[in-house]
Amino acid sequence: MRYWRELYTSVFTNREHLILDRIRILIIIILMITFDGVNKVYQKDWLALQDITFNINKGEFVFICGPTGAGKSTILKLIYKGEEPTSGSINVLDQDLSLLKKNGIPKLRRKIGIIFQDFKLLQDRTLEENVAFALEVTNTPPRNLRKKLMETLTYLHLSHKKFSYPYQLSGGEQQKVAIARALVRDPYILLADEPTGNLDAKSSQDIINILLDINYKGTTVVMATHNLSLVKKVKKRMLRLVGGKFVTEK
Amino acid sequence: MSLRIGIREGMRTISRNNSLFFLSLFVVAISLFLLSLFALVTANLYSFVKILNDKIEIIAFLDEHTNVEVLKSNILKISGVTNVIYISPEQALKDLKSELEETQEVLTVFENNPLPASLRIKLHEKYKNVGGLEEISSKILLLRGVRETIYGGELVDELKKITNIITIFDIGLLLIIILSVIFVIFQTIKLTIFARSTEIEIMKLVGASNSFIAIPFTFEGLVQGMIGGLIAFALTVITVQVAISFFSNVYFPRWWFLLISVASGVLFGIIGSSVALRRFLK
Repeated sequence: MRYWRELYTSVFTNREHLILDRIRILIIIILMITFDGVNKVYQKDWLALQDITFNINKGEFVFICGPTGAGKSTILKLIYKGEEPTSGSINVLDQDLSLLKKNGIPKLRRKIGIIFQDFKLLQDRTLEENVAFALEVTNTPPRNLRKKLMETLTYLHLSHKKFSYPYQLSGGEQQKVAIARALVRDPYILLADEPTGNLDAKSSQDIINILLDINYKGTTVVMATHNLSLVKKVKKRMLRLVGGKFVTEK
Repeated sequence: MSLRIGIREGMRTISRNNSLFFLSLFVVAISLFLLSLFALVTANLYSFVKILNDKIEIIAFLDEHTNVEVLKSNILKISGVTNVIYISPEQALKDLKSELEETQEVLTVFENNPLPASLRIKLHEKYKNVGGLEEISSKILLLRGVRETIYGGELVDELKKITNIITIFDIGLLLIIILSVIFVIFQTIKLTIFARSTEIEIMKLVGASNSFIAIPFTFEGLVQGMIGGLIAFALTVITVQVAISFFSNVYFPRWWFLLISVASGVLFGIIGSSVALRRFLK
């Protein structure tokens, strides 16, 4: 009798665990980024971020807007652990970043694609090598690497220029290469820090369209920009920052 | 796998950033050459001092018809004597002839061999000073069959004093040169790595692990050090060839120099790049 009771409780608790696990997985799937009361103070008591709290769910497209120096880039840096918060907690892909050790940072960044205003391409490598580099870092087998590379370059219409060096490309094309590099590893999250800052209106619109399409396919996109007119056209969720604080959330 | 990619990355930067690579290779080679040159001077100084030291001995001239074997064994019993070598009158004449190559006719004056037989007495290191030489020499003079002894006397002490001062000075200078060479090599490698800080930043942003970033740079440091060491060795060999035409006898343990200059180049290259990288890989 006692045996049966024990068996019953063990099965029951196991099942409970299973349900909890399912719920947890569901939360991971839904919640991509969580900031909870995050403060960031840079040297000399400069308060860059003040009590920032927000959630970003899977599949969302979120703009972080605000004037220069409002703290947009700081938020992105905190997400990929390029900076540490002074206080508050940050959760990215079900990982409490304060518990993430130094050697875990590369693994986190492999799940996140990042693009910048200044593209950050390796100048001594061709377009193709720049994109392939993101895969080599993770020791992707050559065959998979070629396949993934072809797919990504075709998707972004870059195949015909794959042997060009960054300096031979226009700004819009360079940003596309940066997007390809971010995208080639199928990231869960794509972070874009003023991706259109250096581009003309047409190229900017191209880049936004690409980001929207990537988002449509399921990747969460977080884009920091000071260009409000661009944001208004797109009609997506907007977090507005002024002086390190959220003003309104639309 | 990542080692293979790392080495390939290193090769790539060597072939593409070659101006920077050759600049620091040049600095490494010249620094190591300077070090080898000074090591060469030091090695020769030591070998010269050693030769001089070996020449500190007592020569005992013998009476005719002396029983050399008995005398030899008696001298060997004196404490401080390590070895006794018998020089026959014929041998002495031969040595003299070879020393006086140009003035051999002087010897033709003599009908017979005028030189006496002698014993060259080698001493323990402790006795190679005025006191020690006098003490042993006076003991030898008491033995039957010894006519006379000669030794360096006070000159030995003077010589030792001078060589000691030179040696200390030389070691001090060598240390300073070693430290400055390390400093110059480290600084140069640091500059070349700093020039590529954006590259490192990009690597980190796409999720490269620290070892993935470090391997190409360390490999470059290794290649730089190895080639730099080989160039330094080649320059040293040329210098020795030139020096031989001036000094006729130059002490140059070739393989040791090759080994040490390449090994120190590789060591400085690897350590230098690792130290410089540490700042980026925190």
